[in-house]
Amino acid sequence: MKESAARSGNRQGTSGGDFKDCFRPEDYFTASKYFAPESLKEAVEILEGYGGDLKVLAGGTDLLVEYYERLYEVKGWLDLKNIPGLKEIKVFEDRIEIGPLVTHTELEKSENIKEYYPVLNRAAADVGSPQIRNRGTIGGNIITASPAGDLLAPLMAYDAEFKLVSTRGERIVPVGQFFTGPKRTIISSNEILSRIIIPLPGERTYGSWCKVGKRKALIISSITLALVVKFNKERVIKDIRACLGAVAPTPVEIKEVRKRARGKRIEDLNFSELGELVAERISPIDDIRGTAEYRRDVAREIMINALEEIAEKAAE
Amino acid sequence: MTGIVGSNFLKVDARDKVTGRAIYPDDIYFDDLLYVKVKRAPHPHAYLRKLDVSKAEELPGVVKVITATDYPDLNKFGLIIKDQPVLVGIGEKMRYLGDALAIVVAESREIATRALDLIRVEVEELEVISDPLRAMDDDAPAIHEDGNILITHYLDKGDVEKGFAGADIIVEREYRTQHIDQLPLQPEAGVGLYDEESGVIKLWVATQWLHDTQADIAQSLGLPREKVRIIQPAIGGAFGKREDISVHIHLALAAMATGRPVKLTYTREESMITQSKRHPMIIRAKTGATKDGYLTAWQVEVIGDAGAYASSSPAVVHKGMYHCTGPYNVENVRGVSHAVYTNNTYSGAMRGFGTTQMAFAYESQMDILAHELGLDPAQFRLQNAYQVGSLTPNGQVLSRSVNVRETIKKAIEMSDWKGVRVE
Amino acid sequence: MKITITVNGEKREVETTPSTRLLDLLRDDLHLTGTKEGCGKGECGACTVIMNGELVASCLVLSPQADGAEITTIEGLGTEEELDPIQEAYIEAGAVQCGFCIPGMVLASKKLLEENPQPDEGEIRRGLSGNICRCTGYQKIIDAVKLAAKKLAGTGKLAGAGKSRGKGGGR
Repeated sequence: MKESAARSGNRQGTSGGDFKDCFRPEDYFTASKYFAPESLKEAVEILEGYGGDLKVLAGGTDLLVEYYERLYEVKGWLDLKNIPGLKEIKVFEDRIEIGPLVTHTELEKSENIKEYYPVLNRAAADVGSPQIRNRGTIGGNIITASPAGDLLAPLMAYDAEFKLVSTRGERIVPVGQFFTGPKRTIISSNEILSRIIIPLPGERTYGSWCKVGKRKALIISSITLALVVKFNKERVIKDIRACLGAVAPTPVEIKEVRKRARGKRIEDLNFSELGELVAERISPIDDIRGTAEYRRDVAREIMINALEEIAEKAAE
Repeated sequence: MTGIVGSNFLKVDARDKVTGRAIYPDDIYFDDLLYVKVKRAPHPHAYLRKLDVSKAEELPGVVKVITATDYPDLNKFGLIIKDQPVLVGIGEKMRYLGDALAIVVAESREIATRALDLIRVEVEELEVISDPLRAMDDDAPAIHEDGNILITHYLDKGDVEKGFAGADIIVEREYRTQHIDQLPLQPEAGVGLYDEESGVIKLWVATQWLHDTQADIAQSLGLPREKVRIIQPAIGGAFGKREDISVHIHLALAAMATGRPVKLTYTREESMITQSKRHPMIIRAKTGATKDGYLTAWQVEVIGDAGAYASSSPAVVHKGMYHCTGPYNVENVRGVSHAVYTNNTYSGAMRGFGTTQMAFAYESQMDILAHELGLDPAQFRLQNAYQVGSLTPNGQVLSRSVNVRETIKKAIEMSDWKGVRVE
Repeated sequence: MKITITVNGEKREVETTPSTRLLDLLRDDLHLTGTKEGCGKGECGACTVIMNGELVASCLVLSPQADGAEITTIEGLGTEEELDPIQEAYIEAGAVQCGFCIPGMVLASKKLLEENPQPDEGEIRRGLSGNICRCTGYQKIIDAVKLAAKKLAGTGKLAGAGKSRGKGGGR
């Protein structure tokens, strides 16, 4: 892909006498190929052949917006829609496997997701709008890797792993190692995300979800928080995950919370102190969706709210 | 009198709109339709030094690329002041990112879009003025020949010096508001057709000023009015944004240059960059009141960011100033308003026409005064509110239908307002 | 490339390209211009259609993605003589002003009422949250959906079309 092609387009970013920004017609390619293979094997073979020239297409709700804004050029599409199994939610003894083409609507409606991963369920219900939830997928949300991707903090809070396949085999990557920066992940151009694997949380696991944005629908989050707490029989905290979105280049877990809270009862925790800890440890930026200062203030408060919500649920 | 006022009527075109049969400009198709795209300024304040459209013309499917060189006699256009060029010519200035440099006419939308990227532009950059206060500096470069202050208006009622002298408290604050897009749901769009035999250009395009738009297009093209016919299809919202010329003249040129039907539809982004906005305003307000809560004097300075072209600015900014006291009686008022050119997207008409920005300032002043005086803000408003016989800052006597007191009372009742406890 | 889609009950074979949007195919090729483009980014809902029983933004669907799909556009609702009760309700409630959002609104209302025949206000707002209207302030549109729910309950047209998802959707 030529840098000039990517930078031009309807933003018309040319300026001064810089003729380098112009390019010849033959440099210009629109998506002229479309593959809809019927097996994963076939899909990775096609991808191997084309490499970065193809975009792997799931729901398209992010990809197509960017394509028509001409933020990238592409030779064609590899549409996963005909591959069997990629739209399934499968329950195993110790885990649930979610196909990458499962939509936000399906996550919202699935009884299994509701029961085992309520935070993921509620995050999916908060995505976009009915139109977006019906097309947008969990796989797309992961691969797009927006720091504000609504499903990412919940996936982190539930210790999800991602299965990536290529012609050379497959690998399983924990969510904590997958995201490397805004819209950047470790996936290679010849790999396809084929499964999202989440361990079953076990009894006495409670979660809380909070999304803050300028409006309820169709908003890129200013901040998200997924808090998941596991208790033992004695109501002592076995494990805790406080994960946030839109406050750093990638979704983040505030690991310090684990150290402070593990082995304690929730009523013995100082919620304000933990709120403060979260506010301190995130690294938000100033942008159109809020200032860093605002995000720290909000992070503190939603952390406190989340702990209160879980304390209440656990007491029931 | 029965049957009209207070009765419900079904909207005449609602049936067509709920069935999808209503025809909006972009819904019109011809078999040999061509698509138009406009090359916009790459810089918000610069001289155009070179414009090379040859590569775009070579692209298969491109029918015509029109530049100012092809039509050297085009006149500028504009709602009140004709200051906006149809196409920026070589050696001329682009003043904001919406200025048009070239019009591409092609067999498909995609080809037209591609062709835009093949147009080479060379500019000489000038200082970009995005802040009206900078525009008012003596050493700021002039965006238009006559300087950056487009128009100044004054307001004088009573004697503000006396009014402030009689005040127990004076509150002075500065307020700033931002650009707002009217954002009608249908982006600017139109279809044009030129009949060579009669020399008539037909345009299916929305406008809020049908005859003024017709006249402006005609004078810009140097044609008699009867040669421009505008057919108004269904309009997908306007809110002031469709007062200005948008696709109209470019469509006419494309239709004349090709002899084929042509369509031009803005993307949402193009609509946002190119067409008018609500004025950002800087409002400096100084208000005096007695300790028992009566307003004695109000002084205001208003600076409206007109953006690159005049549009409705000569009317909007001072209308805002005339409303500086809101619906409150003030005997002594003085004001000055400036509409100022900048290199921002031009400001124009939007619902309220300058008064909404002012409402932010005067209601804030009222709250601050009430707070400082230890008065209930609702009561404070009520005792200063207009009634029949009130005289507005610009000298209008309100002779009937003045319902602001009833409105405030109703609002107090409905919101269950208990007043504020003064400490 | 060729695709086959069923639009408003009619099976059609259409020549298209891999980068043509379903929206463009409907408008430019089939001249079903009731489907509108307001933003091209899936945010305004003017291009809403029902695809395989689901509400989608047709500006975010590539035409080959719709190969084999069943599509309902606004033109597929009601007949010349008899409007769909939802369309009637929009007219009667005064919910139509400029009308540009209305095809999408009506289709979103249809899907909402199919899944939840008696939605409360919060559920209506959530069901229509992908559709922007710049004229009405939404109140009359919400009134129209309530009126439509009544009309449909009267006709029994939606009986068995789906059961209520219950309360709590309108957070």
